[in-house]
Amino acid sequence: MARRPKGSAGGRGARPAVVGPSSSEDEADEAPQEVSFGVAKEAAETERKLAGEAARRHRELLKEKRRRRQELFAEQKKRKLLPEAVLQELAAAPPARPEKKAAAANPGKRRGGGAVKQKQGQVQRQGQVKKLVNKDKQRKGTRSTGNYTAVCLKDQSLTGLQQQLAKDFINAQLYGPHANRAQPNEYFSLENKKNPVKKAAVQFVDKEWGQEKKQKAARFRRRWLSTQLKMLTQEALS
Amino acid sequence: MGEFEVHRVRFFGLVPAGVRCLAWQPRSDRLGLARTDGTVEVYNFAANYFQEKVIPGHEARSVEALCWAGDRLFGAGLSGEITEYDLAGLCVACSVDGCGGPIWSMAVNSSGTQLAIGCDDGSVKLFQVVPGGIQFEQNLDRRKGRILCLSWHPLGTHIAAGSIDNVRVLDVCSGQTVQRIMVNYHVQKVKQECIVWSIAFLSSGTVVTSDSFGRVQFWDWEQGTLLDSHTVSNSAILSLAVSEKEDSIIVGTSAGATYQFQLLPVKLSSQEKRWIRTKPFHYHTHDVRAVAHSSTALISGGLDAQLVIRPLMEKMQDKGYEAVLRKFTFPHRRLVSCAREARLLLFQFSQHLELWRLGSTNGTGKDGDILPLSSMPEHLVQLKSKGPEHIYCSCISPCGSWVAYATASRFHLYRVHYEDDSVRIEKIPKVSKLLLPAYQLQFSSDSSSLFVASARGSVHVVLLLEPGGCRHLHTLRPPSGSLEAVYLLALSVDGRWLAAVSGDWAIHVYKLKRLKHHCTVPMYSCAVTALAIHPVTNDLVIAYSDQQLFEFSIPEKQYTDWSRTVQKSGLHKVWLERDSPITHITFNPKNPSHILLHDIYMFCIIDKSLPLPDNSALLMNQCILKQLPESARQQQLHAFKICKKFQPLLFADLLDEKCLVMVERPIMDIKTQLPLPTQQKKFGT
Repeated sequence: MARRPKGSAGGRGARPAVVGPSSSEDEADEAPQEVSFGVAKEAAETERKLAGEAARRHRELLKEKRRRRQELFAEQKKRKLLPEAVLQELAAAPPARPEKKAAAANPGKRRGGGAVKQKQGQVQRQGQVKKLVNKDKQRKGTRSTGNYTAVCLKDQSLTGLQQQLAKDFINAQLYGPHANRAQPNEYFSLENKKNPVKKAAVQFVDKEWGQEKKQKAARFRRRWLSTQLKMLTQEALS
Repeated sequence: MGEFEVHRVRFFGLVPAGVRCLAWQPRSDRLGLARTDGTVEVYNFAANYFQEKVIPGHEARSVEALCWAGDRLFGAGLSGEITEYDLAGLCVACSVDGCGGPIWSMAVNSSGTQLAIGCDDGSVKLFQVVPGGIQFEQNLDRRKGRILCLSWHPLGTHIAAGSIDNVRVLDVCSGQTVQRIMVNYHVQKVKQECIVWSIAFLSSGTVVTSDSFGRVQFWDWEQGTLLDSHTVSNSAILSLAVSEKEDSIIVGTSAGATYQFQLLPVKLSSQEKRWIRTKPFHYHTHDVRAVAHSSTALISGGLDAQLVIRPLMEKMQDKGYEAVLRKFTFPHRRLVSCAREARLLLFQFSQHLELWRLGSTNGTGKDGDILPLSSMPEHLVQLKSKGPEHIYCSCISPCGSWVAYATASRFHLYRVHYEDDSVRIEKIPKVSKLLLPAYQLQFSSDSSSLFVASARGSVHVVLLLEPGGCRHLHTLRPPSGSLEAVYLLALSVDGRWLAAVSGDWAIHVYKLKRLKHHCTVPMYSCAVTALAIHPVTNDLVIAYSDQQLFEFSIPEKQYTDWSRTVQKSGLHKVWLERDSPITHITFNPKNPSHILLHDIYMFCIIDKSLPLPDNSALLMNQCILKQLPESARQQQLHAFKICKKFQPLLFADLLDEKCLVMVERPIMDIKTQLPLPTQQKKFGT
């Protein structure tokens, strides 16, 4: 311990209180030792001070972190914005077109707040400038900011939706979780199982098996046959 | 007789759509049927259950309810519209928006003057049936919950409407709800909602409901109390129908079973009657979504695309063939066209066409051998139809270079070029709009002209121009005019004669050189299912839906001697008791006395030079004849040579003298592609 409390000389009396269980057995029969009031008071005070200082240090650490973060953000923001000179130039130029575009870009949106529009205008202007400066292939006017999609009303008609819901209802009732349905193979093989002469299941061999391999084999065969034909014709010619 | 090499084709992947609605019309003994893909069909029970009319479906059309108002057929579906079907023109006549969202149910009152529809928003709307269409009349009381089923009281004063968890009874005059019955009250541990799938209102004031818990319940509507409850199955009961006399009810379940309930006295000669579950039937493998009750039979239609008609024995006078169970899965018309010379098959699906080239073999063998293929059948082209409408008809020319198909609003003609290994399709532009509506197409045997069967008994003659074009030449019309559409065509091989059958069952023969009407075949009391003109003798062979066969000589304008002999001696009993109609007749050019025909379960070659069998002889005697020695065979030979080896047959044709093609569609291949069936627990599996 780097800093020893002042009443450490008298603190020895407080020690036995934190002694481990091994010595407690030996000293279990003895009566507890007396500790004077002043000594105990001082010990408690020092401990409180220690805790207070720890908390202060912790708070100061957090403050430092926050301050550093803010500085970092401020720097990044400065970096993001263009140099002052260019911005002043743009502010002087007529802002009519970018603002119109900003207005055209949100016809169906209910976006309130001129601040947002301004921000958009600013962003669009930045986009324009970026285009000039970086030769970016940014499209004007086709950006969809926000949560909306344009759909053709003919496809999304109300009757179609109602019909779909009705069909889903019937499907759920007839083939839903409580419907107790069986696979066709299972159902039709019951007869074969119960016959006096037992037969194999109705779909014992599934024709879907190995479709890719069969297709590959068919293609290979066609290719091989054509090469054979070519070879034969060449031989016949020569 | 002859040995044939048979191309046994099983790659026609037809999956018929399931049956969704049934409506029986007692006056003309016809059944209206609607399928899940929007197709509407009419079966004529009096003409041996023949599928008379087919109105092809539409991608956006789903029919949830079908009913007859007099002779007019109305349908309503999830698109929210009530449509009237024009049965003469085989199209939609008019449609009115119900303005209530998707329509779940529709019912007509007993006099056929008012239509009630149950909508998705919980309202019941009344429409009046007026000549020329329907008119909105009144909106009845609207409550929350979709109306899934409706039923009129026979007197037309009240309507019972079934919804989710409740049933309401509405008074028609005031429009108010006079009774509300909670259906879920009697089920313990209620976790799911109880859907009332179907409802019926009896004249005694009893409301019969069927719900998703598998119960059939009888309620007293005035008191709102439960009179009787039967738990019939574990799965939902999706459909219910009451007979006209109100003494018998048929219900259809989700497990494919149907049950009959009958109103029977509790004790012999007792006045008190109760509804008792009597007969169970299990004819379907998938959900039975539609049932109907005619005066003598129980009719059910399931999602396995089967229509089952079960005549009730106690209602039938003679218990012969009339009382036999009928099952219909496949359509009663041809969906396959064959180009004989090019060995091509054209398959017609509801929204696309497939063109296949048949394989070939170099081997030979004896009877019953399977020959190895030297070249596999090839799928050449798949033509997708543009637009939501389903295809009415399609055809390929005998040389294989022209393909035509028609939907309700478009007609398409294509030229097919075969270059070495590849196939190229070229669409012919600017096809005349005059050709619509087209119900049947037929190319002439030299592929120089196309005949289009159209509305009002008319047939359009179109000339095909060589590099790729067409020109409408003439329209043939019957002399006395007709309101019905032409649905069958037959052409002679020499290009001189054309026979056309319209919906009023009249067969007209036209002379093509002069483009004039030649004669009319005498009327018969049944529908024509197939006809063909002999290449050599120009006799018109006609097959009717009651399995009668006639042969009419076109140059002489009268029945032939052979036909008169057949009618005098009568056809064999087993022949007349076949279930399915003959859909295709063809001939063997090398053997003029042979007629080849087929229905779904048999293929037959009729040899006119041999004697006809009488009722005591065995009709299907091919197996026996094979085993007999040559001398004994001569005594037992008769004209009908039937082969039942290839079933179910969708198409059979003679490619050349030694070669036959049979297009089969095994039922199990269809069933594995249908929606899922309900699970069945069997002991020991």
